[in-house]
Amino acid sequence: MNSSKINRIKDNAFKYFGIACTVFGLAMLAIFLGNIIIEGIARIDWAFITNFPSRNPDKAGILPALVGTLWIMGLTAVIAIPLGIAAGIYLEEYGKKSKLATLLEINISNLAGVPSIIYGLLGLEIFGRIMGMGGSLLAGASTLSLLILPIIIVSTREALKAVPSSIKEASFAMGASKWQTVWHQLLPASFGGVITGIILALSRAVGETAPLIVIGALAYVPFVPASPTDEFSVLPIQIFNWISRPQKGFAINAASAIIILLMVTFIMNGIAMYLRNRWQKKVKW
Amino acid sequence: MSHLDIELQQLKTETMKMWSLVNLQLVKGKDSLLKLDKDLAREVILSERRVNAYELKLDRDCENIFALFNPVAVDLRFVLAVLKINNNLERSGDIVEGIAKFVLNVDSNFDTKLLEITRVVEMYAAANNMMETVLEAFDKEDTSLARKVFQQDELLDDINIKANAIIADYIRNHPDNIDATLYLLSIIRKLERVGDQAKNMAEEIIFYIEAKVLKHRSKIEKNKE
Amino acid sequence: MNKLDANNVNVFYGSNKVIKDVSISIKQNTVTAFIGPSGCGKSTFLRLFNRMNDYIDTFKMEGKIEIDGSNIYDKQIRVEELRKQIGMVFQKPNPFPKSIYENVIYGLRIQGIKDKKILDESVEQSLKQAALWDEVKDKLKDSALALSGGQQQRLCIARTLAVQPTVILMDEPASALDPISTAKIEDLIYQLKSKYTIVIVTHNMQQAGRISDKTAFFYMGELVEYDETKTIFTNPKQERTLNYVTGRFG
Repeated sequence: MNSSKINRIKDNAFKYFGIACTVFGLAMLAIFLGNIIIEGIARIDWAFITNFPSRNPDKAGILPALVGTLWIMGLTAVIAIPLGIAAGIYLEEYGKKSKLATLLEINISNLAGVPSIIYGLLGLEIFGRIMGMGGSLLAGASTLSLLILPIIIVSTREALKAVPSSIKEASFAMGASKWQTVWHQLLPASFGGVITGIILALSRAVGETAPLIVIGALAYVPFVPASPTDEFSVLPIQIFNWISRPQKGFAINAASAIIILLMVTFIMNGIAMYLRNRWQKKVKW
Repeated sequence: MSHLDIELQQLKTETMKMWSLVNLQLVKGKDSLLKLDKDLAREVILSERRVNAYELKLDRDCENIFALFNPVAVDLRFVLAVLKINNNLERSGDIVEGIAKFVLNVDSNFDTKLLEITRVVEMYAAANNMMETVLEAFDKEDTSLARKVFQQDELLDDINIKANAIIADYIRNHPDNIDATLYLLSIIRKLERVGDQAKNMAEEIIFYIEAKVLKHRSKIEKNKE
Repeated sequence: MNKLDANNVNVFYGSNKVIKDVSISIKQNTVTAFIGPSGCGKSTFLRLFNRMNDYIDTFKMEGKIEIDGSNIYDKQIRVEELRKQIGMVFQKPNPFPKSIYENVIYGLRIQGIKDKKILDESVEQSLKQAALWDEVKDKLKDSALALSGGQQQRLCIARTLAVQPTVILMDEPASALDPISTAKIEDLIYQLKSKYTIVIVTHNMQQAGRISDKTAFFYMGELVEYDETKTIFTNPKQERTLNYVTGRFG
């Protein structure tokens, strides 16, 4: 057997190993999803979505949690997007030379790896206690914003980096200032990438439970939150709450709520993919 | 119009200016011969410097075009042709100057009868005509016009061949006028060479327009082509 | 008077000296070509004139570069203003991913000009000057990226002309183009000479011969020879220049 034959065998061996790994992951996901759907799909109806939580599993609904989730998503977006994009632009385009920027960069990378429960503790202390927001939507959204800020910053930087330097040079050579170049060229050209990063970050925020529990989000909310200062619950907490009950009916409710939560994140991911494709088609280098 | 076209057009214009000057020299030379006008002859000799200056300028222009534009195909043949035509024109200018010098050296008028029997005036006119024809062919890029010159050259050859016998005969009868007669023979020889130059230039024109090499071929072949 | 003047210019990237004591004077309404092997510093030197090297972190410069007698590296000089006066065309056509119209008026737009009439006029005039008007006049709203490479490059030239510079720097503007497009760009440069001072970097020696009035030969960061293009190509004074232009290099 010569070396090229051995190489081919190795090549094939790795290919099948890779296929096996991929299939394993997909199969697990499929089993999980299938299980959830079989258990929960029948329970989903309009009443399930519009009812308040109840001690009776058949009458319980997810309205406050769903609205809470949408509130959290909206508020987090409002707080995190401008901060994240601005910071990303600064780090990528302005702060390249300074030592401060280098320090910030390292810290941001580190922040992305901090466990979310720690963010919860941070949020509880700063937003909940020091700033006096308590267990409000605002405190929750601020905490989640901190959590996803590194993701938005990093994805903004990546998107800006993907714009060919020739475009930047052309703009500078036309007499544009840095800000004009960012505003007229870099942001439009990197819009697809930035928006994708934002949506993926938000869908992560939507799924977070731990920090919100630490903040003090409620498990039982008999009202629909109407302003950012209201207390709230979110879907993951509702699910967690139901799962921990002994009755079989609540387990079914949890499965149904999981389906709703998954739908929300899938829809968001779908939008992200759609936007990315659309902008990639529009901007070809 | 491309940059190279502009340069080539300028080269052509310059070449034609030089050519016209040489043709004018030829006409002046003829007049000085017929009228034994020594002032005119002197003028021809002086003007020869201008012809030489043109030659140097065209040489330099061609060199620059080769170096800067790297012409190819018809453009390349054109510049090559101009380079050689330039040489031919300079030679023609020298020949005319030589004729003018003879005129200066001759003491007395040429015998009109001698002029008549040697057909030198006719020859002069023919040579002049050839140069004009080739110039026109060059200007209009007309190869059929250039080909006419081969025919016209036969007249010059004919006169040249017969001149020996005629001159010898004349000297025998008029031994007192040997100097002038010998000058006339030389003039005839020179005029024949003007014809050759014109012919060469015609060949160059055909070379550059049709990419055909006619050098060293018989007259019959040339006319057939 | 000289349009551009460089005096004893040294450029460093970190501790690496890439331009060594170069002085050059460039007259108004001429085409000057910078030639030399790759890495000889000709592009770096070109980019000094509109301060495009400023973005390189380790860039450091000594000496003086003047336009119309004023030092462009003076602290008083605003780089944005300088670049309106000294336009640049790059090696690879780099139109913005916008419409043809928006590309041409980009320079005016960032200057804050909004008058539609002025913008329309500028588009037509610039595209005509760049010999592109007839090809694109019916599709000004189309994306510039749909144009061919040669058209894109002429669009980039039009975009540069729109801000009415006095000097145009060109960094190998035809090296990414086919021969026909190259010839068009060269004709264009020849025509633009009457209104602008053009400095062009080129790898293609024949191109330098065809379009430039003066040629500067760079080698290893040094300006080896600077003379009339005719002289450089027929009778260069330096042996290194001779070896380069005759292709007997190295």
